[in-house]
Amino acid sequence: MKLDAKIPGGPLNEKWDNHKFDIKLVNPANKRKYTVLVVGTGLAGASAAASLAELGYNVLAFCVQDSPRRAHSIAAQGGINAAKNYPNDGDSIRRLFYDTIKGGDYRAREGNVYRLAQLSANIIDQCVAQGVPFAREYGGQLDNRSFGGAQVSRTFYARGQTGQQLLLGAYGSMMRQVAEGRVQMFPRREMLDLVVAGGKARGIVCRNLVTGEIEAYAGHAVLLCTGGYGNVYYLSTNAKNSNATAAWRCYKRGALFANPCFTQIHPTCIPVTGEHQSKLTLMSESLRNDGRVWVPKQTGDQRPPERIPEDERDYYLERKYPSFGNLVPRDVASRNAKSVCDEHRGVGESGLAVYLDFRDAIARLGEDTIRERYGNLFDMYERITDENPYRVPMRIYPAVHYTMGGLWVDYNLMSTIPGLHVLGEANFSDHGANRLGASALMQGLADGYFIIPYTLGHYLASTSFPAVSTDAPEFREAVGGVRATVDRMLSIKGKKTVLEFHRELGRIMWDYVGMSRTAKGLKKALQMIPRLREEFWQNVNIPSAPDQLNKNLEFAGRVADFMELGELMAIDALHRNESCGGHFREEYQTPEGEAKRDDKRFSYAAAWEFAGERKRPVLNKEPLTFENVKLSQRSYK
Amino acid sequence: MYSFTKAAWSSVGKKIMTGVTGLALCVFIAEHLIANSLMFLGPDAFNAYTHKLTTMGGLLYALEGGLVLAFLLHAVTGISIWLNKRRARPQAYVSRLSSKGGASKQTFSSRTMIYTGLVLLVFIVVHLKTFKYGPNYETLVDGVRMRDLYRLVVEVFQSPAYAFGYVAVMALLGFHLRHGFWSAFQSLGVSHPRYVPIIYRFGILFAFVIALGFLVLPLWIYYGGGKV
Amino acid sequence: MKNMTLNLKIWRQPNAQSAGRFVSYTVQDISPDMSFLEMLDILNEQLAKKGDEPIEFDNDCREGICGMCSLVINGVPHGSQKGTATCQLHMRKFRDGQTITVEPWRARPFPVLKDLVVDRGALDRIMAAGGYVSCHVGAAVDANAVLIAKDMAEKAMDYAACIGCGACVAACPNASASLFVAAKIAQFAHLPQGQVERKERAIRMVEAMDELGFGDCSNHGECEAVCPKEISIASIALMRREYFKAAIS
Ligand SMILES: Cc1cc2nc3c(=O)[nH]c(=O)nc-3n(C[C@H](O)[C@H](O)[C@H](O)COP(=O)(O)OP(=O)(O)OC[C@H]3O[C@@H](n4cnc5c(N)ncnc54)[C@H](O)[C@@H]3O)c2cc1C
Ligand code: HEM
Ligand code: HEM
Ligand code: SF4
Ligand code: F3S
Ligand code: FES
Repeated sequence: MKLDAKIPGGPLNEKWDNHKFDIKLVNPANKRKYTVLVVGTGLAGASAAASLAELGYNVLAFCVQDSPRRAHSIAAQGGINAAKNYPNDGDSIRRLFYDTIKGGDYRAREGNVYRLAQLSANIIDQCVAQGVPFAREYGGQLDNRSFGGAQVSRTFYARGQTGQQLLLGAYGSMMRQVAEGRVQMFPRREMLDLVVAGGKARGIVCRNLVTGEIEAYAGHAVLLCTGGYGNVYYLSTNAKNSNATAAWRCYKRGALFANPCFTQIHPTCIPVTGEHQSKLTLMSESLRNDGRVWVPKQTGDQRPPERIPEDERDYYLERKYPSFGNLVPRDVASRNAKSVCDEHRGVGESGLAVYLDFRDAIARLGEDTIRERYGNLFDMYERITDENPYRVPMRIYPAVHYTMGGLWVDYNLMSTIPGLHVLGEANFSDHGANRLGASALMQGLADGYFIIPYTLGHYLASTSFPAVSTDAPEFREAVGGVRATVDRMLSIKGKKTVLEFHRELGRIMWDYVGMSRTAKGLKKALQMIPRLREEFWQNVNIPSAPDQLNKNLEFAGRVADFMELGELMAIDALHRNESCGGHFREEYQTPEGEAKRDDKRFSYAAAWEFAGERKRPVLNKEPLTFENVKLSQRSYK
Repeated sequence: MYSFTKAAWSSVGKKIMTGVTGLALCVFIAEHLIANSLMFLGPDAFNAYTHKLTTMGGLLYALEGGLVLAFLLHAVTGISIWLNKRRARPQAYVSRLSSKGGASKQTFSSRTMIYTGLVLLVFIVVHLKTFKYGPNYETLVDGVRMRDLYRLVVEVFQSPAYAFGYVAVMALLGFHLRHGFWSAFQSLGVSHPRYVPIIYRFGILFAFVIALGFLVLPLWIYYGGGKV
Repeated sequence: MKNMTLNLKIWRQPNAQSAGRFVSYTVQDISPDMSFLEMLDILNEQLAKKGDEPIEFDNDCREGICGMCSLVINGVPHGSQKGTATCQLHMRKFRDGQTITVEPWRARPFPVLKDLVVDRGALDRIMAAGGYVSCHVGAAVDANAVLIAKDMAEKAMDYAACIGCGACVAACPNASASLFVAAKIAQFAHLPQGQVERKERAIRMVEAMDELGFGDCSNHGECEAVCPKEISIASIALMRREYFKAAIS
């Protein structure tokens, strides 16, 4: 397949403007004749549904939770980037563009990233107009902080609840359209298949999670805004219901899946306490602005932290990266934590943790200042661990957090299936191999508020749509397929629970397709995952009936898809014989242990194409060309 | 303008009504307590005062009219809130809700407002019948002919049923006010972070003083005080 | 602290139409580091292994922000720990051998769907009635063109922190949604962006709340006590002022 990213021509800073002018518009009177199915109501979905409904389209929106406001965007803590340069510290669209490209280790498209940086400022304006209570300075202006390795302060935030406030803004706008009758909301629905008719995405099949009914919905375009797939690792900072199912079914219907192995591991999460652990909690990375990361110098040092004298502590990030110190990018911080723990210098009961110590910051700034900055995070930490971080250092460990990979889309956010658009974390587009902190919120909202209203209009205006109803054979086939899968899973009546399979998959993924990968490990994973999948389809146990609320059944479907996706991730990781950003292959590192890219061979997005059950997927490459930045080895020394 | 009836009978409107009428009743009850306390000074002081009120003419009728209206509105809105509460949770908790404490203002008083209120409603009817529309004794104070309410009150509280019945009702009134006083301010939108705690504490004091103030009189008379 | 054995009395109800009842279970070897929901996960695994129907309960983020978890634990929505949602409640707050009752949120507008899962769609309908600032996408002025005093922004944020869990309704002896509604009204009343629709918002949100069948507020203040975000009932007083001003103008 020839992949055409459809990046408009012209200089970088004019591409989007030119494109907006070149694309077709839909006649206002005709807009309500178009039905758009928006799957997912996170930042991407809610902002898209609100904007499109406001333009006059007829929107149907779907989500898994009982309310659209609960999408996992709600959990984002730290903040959202924008090139406003309010603090006058040298920020600009170009610098945000550059930082994002570099942060992504040169595996993202210039055109997309530049557009993202351009739109970033509009997002803040939009959100403020909606009443999002961003933090302010005494003069009444918006406050900014520096975040995740950026050397300028460009992150806007609302306490530790930025995602929540942004989402409630978008949700509010969407609910306004619900009241106007232009958005119809379908909560507690899980999309289980995409309907392609006449070569175009024309509908979806959902399971009503309360009644168990399999329902079909038809429309003129489908927007997939279903978030990331971090839960393939079982333990991650994602919500329990976050899943890859919708995206995976689209992949099986012909959409390409790009860069599945690019996953981000977040360095500051609360460590695992035992087998019962069901999810991991992130502590905002803003903590690294004041906390110092250390482990004992000696291996196996069992003393409590306050009894370890200063000269026996290893502040390894400050030691290895004198200029960035504790603020190195996430992938670097995470890998270093793993390697000190691998040297048996980890702390806590499990030995899988490092200290994040506020002693010096409290001495320097006073406890009150620290409380003001991080009070709610400290409280959260104490609630979970029963330890007081004002007195004893926090223990942190990396956890899977974000997935840069996703369905392949062009500049218009359209996948390789005409009409299927993919927004937010579900697509692969803007972060390359690693995401800078505070840029996913930006991307989700840019996609939904500012990009899709234009590009979807263009698609609708330039496409002819034969009438399709949910009685069409394509719909009946899809509904039948979904029913058959449900029945098949229920009929197995095996011995192992869904949770056990998920945990086992997670362990394989974390051990072999996790923070650092080797060809040997990946090959092992590629043997283990199919075996686990075989076992799943023979031995899974789903108690209770399909025609009711049945979380085991929901999770069974998701875990089944995760097992297939996990395999694709391993295939992708194995094929990418380089290290870049969140993809670290031990074989490819600099003498200092840093990721070593191979730009000659791997400067492309790897877009995988479904070739049939149990067949090896086909690799398609979208070459990445860089005309505006010079590729360099990332260095945070 | 927004429909007045709709606003008045909305959840917020009803609370503003209970608040306004409740506070009006608090003012009345405070005045009533002061008036009753004049009994401790002897028959003449008390009778003269009540007589003075009756000579206020139109103003008194207006005040009495207002009072009746306040009682009625207060009772009707209070009962309506209670009925609505029952509708809003048709299936009660089986394990019983318990208060979390902390910031909660839930108390025995707050939970029993409707019961203490209904007792007060019955009380008022009996009370008016006993006193306002009771036997009309007469007396002369400084040469002026007037109703001898002092005598009536003293007679009534000779009966243990009346005396202790009143004591019980006055205690319930105290409970009603213990939640009611601060609650009325909350209903009327007072949210000042410094004054609300003061109002809350004052409300407890107010309830205590009112209940105690009213309840000593019947006891005092029953145990031999105020004999003519 | 060592591992615990607990007796659970959990509400089971097949669907909205059928009646429910308490069923007793015992779980063993519960680590104090587990969260309450992880303890229920363990129970569910036991049930699944025996081929019994697992207990359905809503949850998603498991970090106290999405508002999806619920549960009335020993008579208190979200359990006894202050400022904590059920998903962040840990087993170290319980004693070995303790009996714990678990019931769903109860209110007419929150019908039980199954076991401990209720339908809280009513809260969305209230939000649709006015929980937003109406502004067109793309037409906003520069964000710093609107200055907002820091303390106003902080107050607005205090109220904006609501996670929409509905514990306030569940705990309220009257099943009133006043705190939920008031939090939103108070957020916008503190912000310049909220002024234009201030009156309409108060009227419409209160109207929606009443129509959906929530109870009236008798100022019990239990809602504030159970609110995982500790939102103050000062917002309810403010809502009444807002409503009054709107209704008479
Ligand atoms: C703990 C945490 C903290 C974060 N902090 C930050 C931060 O500070 N800054 C930042 O920029 N980014 C942050 N991120 C990343 C960012 O929050 C997410 O990438 C982003 O919010 C994703 O938004 P989304 O709209 O794409 O998807 P989501 O918000 O995940 O929404 C997915 C939606 O799809 C629905 N859905 C999913 N599957 C289906 C299906 N099969 N059928 C129907 N509906 C479905 C869900 O119900 C939901 O509505 C953080 C992420 C996490 C996990
Ligand atoms: C006529 C008999 C009475 C009845 C039936 C009655 C009933 C009630 C009820 C049910 C409430 C609670 C309202 C709610 O749940 O929100 C209430 C509140 C209150 N009552 Fe009464 N009551 C009566 C008499 C009185 C009297 C005599 C007083 C004062 C002396 C009084 C003072 C108050 C006050 C201050 C409140 C608080 C109002 C508010 O919360 O806004 N009530 N009453
Ligand atoms: C010890 C307690 C009380 C005593 C001795 C007492 C005595 C009296 C007397 C003597 C009157 C007649 C006054 C008149 O006709 O001019 C009266 C009137 C009245 N009392 Fe009381 N009272 C007591 C408590 C209460 C309480 C607790 C309430 C209310 C809850 C109350 C409400 C009224 C009302 C409404 C009237 C009629 C007032 C009017 O028509 O002007 N009383 N009371
Ligand atoms: S006000 Fe508090 S208790 Fe009520 S829904 Fe919001 S967060 Fe939950
Ligand atoms: S508990 Fe209920 S009565 Fe009012 S103050 Fe809270 S809503
Ligand atoms: S599960 Fe999200 S708040 Fe508890």
